[in-house]
Amino acid sequence: MTGPWAEALPWVIVLPLVGAALTPAVAVRHPRVAGFWAWGVLLVTAVLASGLVAELLARGPFSYELGGWAASYGIELRFDHFSAWVLPLAVLFVVIVPFSWRYLDHVMPDERRPPFYALLLLNAGGMIGFCVTGDLFNLFVFTEVVSLSSYALVAVGGRGLAAFAALKYLFIGAVSSLLMLFATAQLFVLTGSLNMADVSLGLGEIGSGTAVMVAFAAFAVSFMVKAAMFPVHVWLPDAHAIAPSPVSAVLSGMVVKVGIVGMLRIYQIYFGAEVLELGAFNLALVWLGAVSIVMGAFFAIFQDDIKLMLAYSTISNIGYIVLGLGLASPYAVIGASVHVFNHALIKATLFLAAGSIIHQTGFRTLSDLRGIARTMPQTSAAMAIGAVSIVGLPPTAGFVCKWYIALGAFEANQAPFGFALVFGALFIFIYYIRMLNAFYFQKPVHDEVAQASETPWSMRGPVVLLASLCLILGVLGGIPLNFVEPAVLDLLPFWGQ
Amino acid sequence: MEVVDVRPILAPFVSFLCAGLVFGFGRSIFWRRFFTFLAAFIKMALVLSMLPGTLQGVVYVYQFVEFTPGIGIGFRADAYGMFFSLVSSTLWVFTTIYAIGYMQGDRDRVRFFGFFALCVSTTVGVAFAENLLTFFLFYETLTICTYPLVVHAETREALRAGRIYLTYTLIGGGFALVGAVMTLNAAGTLTFAAPGILGLESGVGTLAVIFLCLIIGFGVKAAVMPLHGWLPIAMVAPTPVSALLHAVAVVKVGAFGVTRVIYNVFGVELLQQLGFATPLALLAGFTIVAASTIALTQDHLKRRLAYSTISQLSYIVLGAALLTPLAATAAVLHIANQAFAKITMFFVVGAITRTTGKKYVSEIDGIGARMPWSMAAFTIASLSFVGVPLTAGFITKWYLALGALEADAWWFVLVLIASSLLNAGYFFPILHRAYFRPAKEPWPPLEPGRHFETPKTLLIPIVICAAYVLLLGVTAEVPGMPGSVAQVAVESFFAPRGVGP
Repeated sequence: MTGPWAEALPWVIVLPLVGAALTPAVAVRHPRVAGFWAWGVLLVTAVLASGLVAELLARGPFSYELGGWAASYGIELRFDHFSAWVLPLAVLFVVIVPFSWRYLDHVMPDERRPPFYALLLLNAGGMIGFCVTGDLFNLFVFTEVVSLSSYALVAVGGRGLAAFAALKYLFIGAVSSLLMLFATAQLFVLTGSLNMADVSLGLGEIGSGTAVMVAFAAFAVSFMVKAAMFPVHVWLPDAHAIAPSPVSAVLSGMVVKVGIVGMLRIYQIYFGAEVLELGAFNLALVWLGAVSIVMGAFFAIFQDDIKLMLAYSTISNIGYIVLGLGLASPYAVIGASVHVFNHALIKATLFLAAGSIIHQTGFRTLSDLRGIARTMPQTSAAMAIGAVSIVGLPPTAGFVCKWYIALGAFEANQAPFGFALVFGALFIFIYYIRMLNAFYFQKPVHDEVAQASETPWSMRGPVVLLASLCLILGVLGGIPLNFVEPAVLDLLPFWGQ
Repeated sequence: MEVVDVRPILAPFVSFLCAGLVFGFGRSIFWRRFFTFLAAFIKMALVLSMLPGTLQGVVYVYQFVEFTPGIGIGFRADAYGMFFSLVSSTLWVFTTIYAIGYMQGDRDRVRFFGFFALCVSTTVGVAFAENLLTFFLFYETLTICTYPLVVHAETREALRAGRIYLTYTLIGGGFALVGAVMTLNAAGTLTFAAPGILGLESGVGTLAVIFLCLIIGFGVKAAVMPLHGWLPIAMVAPTPVSALLHAVAVVKVGAFGVTRVIYNVFGVELLQQLGFATPLALLAGFTIVAASTIALTQDHLKRRLAYSTISQLSYIVLGAALLTPLAATAAVLHIANQAFAKITMFFVVGAITRTTGKKYVSEIDGIGARMPWSMAAFTIASLSFVGVPLTAGFITKWYLALGALEADAWWFVLVLIASSLLNAGYFFPILHRAYFRPAKEPWPPLEPGRHFETPKTLLIPIVICAAYVLLLGVTAEVPGMPGSVAQVAVESFFAPRGVGP
């Protein structure tokens, strides 16, 4: 039994994808219209997504069969608690796009706007599709939509290094996609189906075996690359630092999460079949997570470029999430899942604020940006809130995950990782305190900084809004739990410790 | 008896709102002062209005939001919290008057007063925290909000002090977080209760780690040696900041946390069985003597006061760690006694620096003639620290000595006597120089049109706080004065298990 909103399920994918295709046509006369068009499309998508989430909260997970063809023949779309991720996804896009309207003035000529917004819409559509598909092959297709549009979005800035960073991203991303395709094919051969629920049932009949495990391993590695976990993170820093700031926010906040959400989806398939013994894998995740936290922080300390600093902190934060998943205790997994969203929010705040500062002054290193807080107080305040938040200090959104994952570490009797998490996070603060000191407590060295003006409202509004959300979600930390908890508790009995 | 009431959350919220207004409209001096004073008075009124209820054993509670299932951000004004918030909200009023005078013409006053209000907000939040999570949230927020005040001067030295301050306090905060998480794991709850929430069934090893983590976490701000390194360095901050934060808010929050851990997380009974409190008491005893000894050698006035603060804070820790009712009374009372006496001293030192530019003990020969009112106040505060009867400090020492005897730990009485002598040893030379040495060069004359030695905004808080030191010393048992609130708090600490405070 489903409510009226369930019918909207295909539309959240179709709208952005079709919107992307239409963008060049819509903006053929006035290239700047593309930005408004993309925003409108995403706004409608976000409204639909909130309807879907309301439906989910009212009646639980539901499916939609495309064309009325039943699953295993037709294509099934499934909206469960992990799919609720599409709502924050869409909302963040709705906030980020207005920021890009003015920001792009300095990045690209007007006539390149339509393809840019088309790519952005493709990216959004791909991620939404990735979250709601109930079919392994479509999971692969949407991953590729996201990845290809991301490569192009990195290169769109057009400077020499951008192409190089995009190419590096492309090569590593292609290997990851190949592994995913291989694993998908493997499961199809084994079970004769691509529908996730059917695959899960099929695996249950086959039982455990080398082929099943190889497929799992291929998925795991593929998604780890997408999530930029240490040591397969090498593509991330350059790509995220060089892309235009709104794109950095999308890539760093949301696209890397494709790897995490994908991992959870694969868990769902394998756990349902009860063919997986996760003990050793969890242990590997825990260690990799802990190492990611420390290495991300370590590399970031040596950066002077603010966007590179932020990019490296993404690696640390993915470390938190992976650590939480590996700990496999209820609180830890809840914390990790909540951080999937909270990190997106925080990272969007930071990248947009950093983008504003770069946009207004033309500088991007700490030593050049000294004293910027005097001339751009609101943007700097947002940056400060983001910095405190990403380190996980209360009362900000970043603290919520640290609290849960630390709790989970002790719950799982893994006290050393609890300590590593809490104090690893402080390590990260070393470089953010340098940033805050430079912005707030040092004298400007450049006239451009001393005479900079605040950004126009279309840029400042999103930044201020995101920063306030960082604070609000720090206090109302219980809200994301409504979505995460049921999903996690369903999976947990199979997680194994 | 628990009553649901919105006042425990309103009290921190008022200064939070004030901070927002100051940041928003603070460029105008008038509005900045208006908001700050209005908030300070409203807050004091709010806290005072709860006082009659507290004295009758009413506890005001307010659950704000749920953070983790079962653990919310909750506020609860019990007697001990009331005591602490009374002290901090009273002193906020005086420090605000003083800060307005002291910071006149200084830079970035919007930032200064905004963060000042935030700090007070979080201090009262700590006082009224219902559980360890809420406590921790405010405790860490306080760390962040004090940073801009510590580095206010923006000099290289100030930035270095800020870095050291953050390193100490954030690592401490990390330990506190781990302790809180482990407590939740062991006890299943974080809500402060009398006599405690942990039990022997968690295992002695786990309890030892929890105790260590929480005591290190809160001990950093309470400046128990060897965790005290940040405090003397942080004295580079403007004097009102040193006064309110490093004599009242920040350090007292640490001491308050240590007492909460001892009485409301572990509980007297459990700690007596475990015996963890004895090493803490010894450490506190060591800090009392060692910090005083270092203070003897300091020539910089504020640094001498800083080491004196370190020594005095350990009175509170010692009182709490002795685990007897009389010692606990001393611990609670000393939160107020030390605060009023030490803030008087900081105010006087700040006034001396603002009026004459002198910062060192060796420079203030004969200042008693130039600034008689201020030095009189300083004298009263010194006598209080030495423990002369009729001053607040005597009350603490009296109860603490009785408590030590009650705990069969008579050697702590020796520590107290040694500390009194040391206090005399580093405060009386200041008085001697001020009153009995001739001035090396003539003091700058009064500015024309001034009737008093220093601007009235500086002098009034000094005189009131010094008077309060005397008042605390003679009215320990009068109902409605801090002493009576402390009695109610201590009764709840030692209530038998199962009886709520």
